[in-house]
Amino acid sequence: MKRREFVKTMPLTALVPAGLAVQTGAALAENAPAAGAPTGQVPAPAISGGSPGTGEVPGFAKYMLTSDMNGLGPDGKPTGQKMTFTGASMADATADAASDQLTLTEEEQAILDGKEGPEKAKLMKILVAFGNAFGAEKLVDLGGAPHSNLFIGAPYMESMIDMLNECADAGLKSYAPYTVNPRPYDVYNVQNNAEEMGLIYQGYPLQAKLDYVHSKLGAPDLNYRSCACYLPEVGNAPESGTYVAWCESSAVNYGNSVLGIRTNRNGAGMDMICAMLGKAPLFGLMTDDGRQAKWLIDVKTSQEPDWGTLGTAIGRKCVEDVPYVAGIDTYFEGGEVTPDNLHKLKAMGSATASSGAVGLYHVEGVTPEPKEKGRDLLVEDYQTYVYDDAEQQRIIDTFENLWEDADGDPTAAFIGCPHNTYHEVVKWGKLVTEALVKAGQEQAAIPVYLFCVNKVRDRLLMEETELAGNMFRAGMHATNMCAVVYSGMKGFGGRVRGITNSAKTRSYSSIRYFPDQILVNTIVTGKIKA
Amino acid sequence: MAKTFKGRPVLPGNIEGEALVSKQPFNTTASYFENMFAGNTETAPCTDANNAELTGKDLKGAIMCTPQTVGSTMGAGAIMGMNGIGVGFKAMLFSSHIDSIAAGGVIIDSIWNDRTVVTIDMLGDEFMETVKTGDKIKISEDGTVEVG
Repeated sequence: MKRREFVKTMPLTALVPAGLAVQTGAALAENAPAAGAPTGQVPAPAISGGSPGTGEVPGFAKYMLTSDMNGLGPDGKPTGQKMTFTGASMADATADAASDQLTLTEEEQAILDGKEGPEKAKLMKILVAFGNAFGAEKLVDLGGAPHSNLFIGAPYMESMIDMLNECADAGLKSYAPYTVNPRPYDVYNVQNNAEEMGLIYQGYPLQAKLDYVHSKLGAPDLNYRSCACYLPEVGNAPESGTYVAWCESSAVNYGNSVLGIRTNRNGAGMDMICAMLGKAPLFGLMTDDGRQAKWLIDVKTSQEPDWGTLGTAIGRKCVEDVPYVAGIDTYFEGGEVTPDNLHKLKAMGSATASSGAVGLYHVEGVTPEPKEKGRDLLVEDYQTYVYDDAEQQRIIDTFENLWEDADGDPTAAFIGCPHNTYHEVVKWGKLVTEALVKAGQEQAAIPVYLFCVNKVRDRLLMEETELAGNMFRAGMHATNMCAVVYSGMKGFGGRVRGITNSAKTRSYSSIRYFPDQILVNTIVTGKIKA
Repeated sequence: MAKTFKGRPVLPGNIEGEALVSKQPFNTTASYFENMFAGNTETAPCTDANNAELTGKDLKGAIMCTPQTVGSTMGAGAIMGMNGIGVGFKAMLFSSHIDSIAAGGVIIDSIWNDRTVVTIDMLGDEFMETVKTGDKIKISEDGTVEVG
């Protein structure tokens, strides 16, 4: 039975929140079917246990389930993955060797003993238990600023939100003003009709409560909401070597890799617990050992690689392990990452984290640690993966068309996930408006959603006023929401045939991925021509 | 005849019950859609279509036996949420090292809300090869798990 036959739409008035900044499983490791691969092996439901539930997958959820999180290989059998999703492989860990070895300073012990109040004592108890679970020997003081991915005000988050409110009511705050992922919807800039507005307000009844508690704990106003917290317009870019405890897979691996900060891939909630204590357990990607690379990725494409495809390939191959990427320094002038080229690593890195669970990558000659240590960052028995033109094409060929009407024309373009940089917004504005002039059109054939933080949109309005006007008239809408969660909205796959430049969006939705020039042509004509 | 395995008690406890087995890693978020987004607060029918062993089965109060959990980082919130509405697991038994999703969810909820899902990890591959859905399970607070 095919997934599309298996899945039936339930009469639900819910959205899929999907904080799908996901920790994906190893299933996709090259040993597994491509994301969204045909699912003929999906079994019929075996309803049992006296459940009144239907056992059916909610219609709005089906594309989420096509992501590579299921731990199955191409034979339909479990892959035997043993990951912790922290970047700290514990594949060979045994219960005999485990021990609670975390020691606390006097100050930390005092907090644990309740000297700073019962709420903080409980937070410390959580952190100690979490650290012990992963073999941490001590806590470290955090610097810079936190980044949180608690951004979805869906009902199931109530327990988590209540915990944050109890902390706020007790007077606790983050150790520094912090950034938060974008909201899961945008009621201003995307053309939400009455039905969509209804779905939003029914699906996210706790959004205001969540936004409010973030403001109480130290987050700035919503103009700073972004998954790309490290952009200059947002300003959360701690100095190299700084310990932080970030959530949001794409921010974590950009921060670890390009900024040189030290954070594990934290699960939702642990970010705020660490933020309120100003401390995190030291293990995994926060340690020198945890930052050693187990894979050499040898990029040998004849031209600049397609960054999202390269990231997808790396994620599928390395899953959780740290890759050392060689052969792409030539695409970063002088080996420098700048506001005008950082989008390349943003695209590659976020794809490694959505097609795999990569929390750190090294780029030879470009990112800080290889500049200092070179190939000493590779472990002795590292493996090599060659990525050439043929391999790039092989990966692209695995990107299935998941549109419900596979032969239909596209209805909207989704540009930028993670959020666009200023450079990208200007680039896309010029690409589309200039192509429209050339075609003798005023408007694009389909709406273009440019996902970016409000501060980037504001900068565009100030510095490229004429272009911004032309973009708006052409049907290009800047929106500060999360593309992935928006595309999980109930019924989205049935009413929207989306196209995107984001390999991450492709991983978690029915939206189809194309190179930039094909996207521009499609935006102008409304037809896909390879 | 009962077989005994020794793991690490992440959240110790003494309980007995029946095993519910997922040989493949349990995808937390994908399994709880009906509870997370469709308002079911009575039962927890597994909605993960990719999990042949569990699809449609009621997860409420189960002793989940699986290698580890996978899925969205929001899984930690889902574990807390399921406990909050009373459809969470009674225990989670992992053959591998616990992952950050499950660890975050069970530890935060146990300490903050005093809702403890007994959690034992590193029970070893043989545990997963041995245990079957419906087997009698006896968990001791030192991390010993008796199957059968």
